Amino acid sequence: MSHHSCVFEAKDLSWQVNDRMILDHLDFCIMPGEFVGLIGPNGAGKSSLLRCLYRKIIDYSGDLLFQNQPLQSYTRNQLARQIAVVLQEPPGQFELSVADVIAMGLTPLKSLFEFDSEQDRERIASAAEQVDLADKLEQNFNSLSGGEKQRAMIARAIVQNPQILIMDEPTNHLDIRHQVDVLKLAKSLNITVVVSIHDLNLAAAFCDRFILMDHGKIVAMGDHKAVLNEQHLSEVFGVVARIDQHPFHTTPRITFDMQIANEAVVNSPKEQP
Amino acid sequence: MSGRSHKTSLFSQQRGFNLQYLLLVVGSSLLLIFTFLFATATGSVHLSLAQVWEALFCVDQCSVDDITKKIIWDIRLPRILMALVTGVGLALTGAILQSVTRNPLADPYLFGISSGSALGAVIVMAIIPTAVISVTFGALVGGACSVALMLILAGRSVTQVERLLLSGVAVSFMLSAFTSLILYYSKPEIAATLLFWMMGSFSNSQWHELWMPYGIVILAFGIFLIFRRWLTAIQAGEESAHTLGVPVVPLRLSMLVLCSAVTAVLVAHVGGIGFVGLMIPHICRYLVGVQIDRVLLMCVLLGGSFMIWVDVIARSLLDNQVLPVGVVTSAVGSLFFFIILKSRSRKV
Repeated sequence: MSHHSCVFEAKDLSWQVNDRMILDHLDFCIMPGEFVGLIGPNGAGKSSLLRCLYRKIIDYSGDLLFQNQPLQSYTRNQLARQIAVVLQEPPGQFELSVADVIAMGLTPLKSLFEFDSEQDRERIASAAEQVDLADKLEQNFNSLSGGEKQRAMIARAIVQNPQILIMDEPTNHLDIRHQVDVLKLAKSLNITVVVSIHDLNLAAAFCDRFILMDHGKIVAMGDHKAVLNEQHLSEVFGVVARIDQHPFHTTPRITFDMQIANEAVVNSPKEQP
Repeated sequence: MSGRSHKTSLFSQQRGFNLQYLLLVVGSSLLLIFTFLFATATGSVHLSLAQVWEALFCVDQCSVDDITKKIIWDIRLPRILMALVTGVGLALTGAILQSVTRNPLADPYLFGISSGSALGAVIVMAIIPTAVISVTFGALVGGACSVALMLILAGRSVTQVERLLLSGVAVSFMLSAFTSLILYYSKPEIAATLLFWMMGSFSNSQWHELWMPYGIVILAFGIFLIFRRWLTAIQAGEESAHTLGVPVVPLRLSMLVLCSAVTAVLVAHVGGIGFVGLMIPHICRYLVGVQIDRVLLMCVLLGGSFMIWVDVIARSLLDNQVLPVGVVTSAVGSLFFFIILKSRSRKV
């Protein structure tokens, strides 16, 4: 099968730290415009995989192609012009204002000698408008709530004007309303999105396709029918899962039986050698 | 729709043309000019500002006598210009080191540069006869060696900022120990000269010494401004800066080396003057926010003014005696930190 139009394509991608396999022989293709959810338990390798995609991790083995070229063959700037990343914890030692943070999105678009133009400033303002932070631009970034921080980081990504958005657990620590807000916002950009999410129902509601990981391996990949089934979830998460139709949407609803977790692990058929 | 464009244009105005920032720059520039003239007028022979102005700018038919001109041109100006470039250089490097290490306590002396320079100076003064090489040259070599030593000790972990800082601290202590040892075994008069040198002074500044500090500070300022976007982006975190296409590790290393070079040149010329590189950038950030180009411009204006004032205090606080500059900056600096701590704790 050829994947000539993959945005990202991994062939036998592995990464290990001191003999520990963090990413174990992965093969996948992410198509343009897809909203891909990366799911799996803690330590499954989701963040490491994302870090490979934005080239923070480079000492992997196997091939990782970006638009049919090795990821390594791009310059930093070429990548930053196409891939925007929203990280888990936007740290703030210094008192950056919201506008300062959003304006950083211009970094890859400008040469070192260029100053901000009127257009750039309008771009920053309209990105802030888009994430509903227009009235907080002059505020200290650290004074924002968790949801507002994530939205500010997305505004920074919007200014970057990317074709791909990578988000590492953007919904962590947010209440349900803000979780939904952040993912809706990402979806509204109509670009390729790769996002790691812990909440499976949230993932089910927003993602076109899923990559389910466990212990550095891809357990299942595809649409919700292929990935979000009771057997996979029991196997990977070690709890009994029930899947039915979501009462509000056409997407599946996942419910866990919290009581008999261990039993589920013991009884689940293990296919791994 | 009209609401949106109104908001947008309001914001554009704020970011492009910030009245508060402009006023701060103009005010600080005026302060610097006044400081410069005032410091030129102040000294054991007191002059009026009018006399200073005449001596500086009149070409012929001047009413000031030759002695006044001589005092101003040969004694005071080189000294004030040296204080100016020292203040500017230390404030700039402090601001840059704080952003690239993302450590608000970073300071130009953090990497053992001052102890390296002190050791170099001590060796020249105590062991090699000064006729062969100058103290300045010895201090320069010492400072360079300390940076090289730090990079070697850090080795492969040079990419991790914490390791780099720790190895800088280790080098600093090691070299200080050598300096103390030499001081312990040297003659009392040499030890006294050395101690005075280490505490910093602008007393012996000469015109012909100014080119090197000015050259490197202006060069560094230009380079910092060129890389301002990257230097701002790195303040939001390394990985985040990486995703914006910033080459984090090379940028940090080259900035460290450049800042070290600036510091080594300054220390070699005026001795160890602490706290300026720590304090001025904090004040500047407090005044103009964290955009690097703004912080750097304010560092130039305020760092220069501050150091000239320190020198004025050092030479006029006690009659017929010049206090070491380092003592004055440290005293003022620690006081400043107490005030900051107090105001912070009140906020919380």
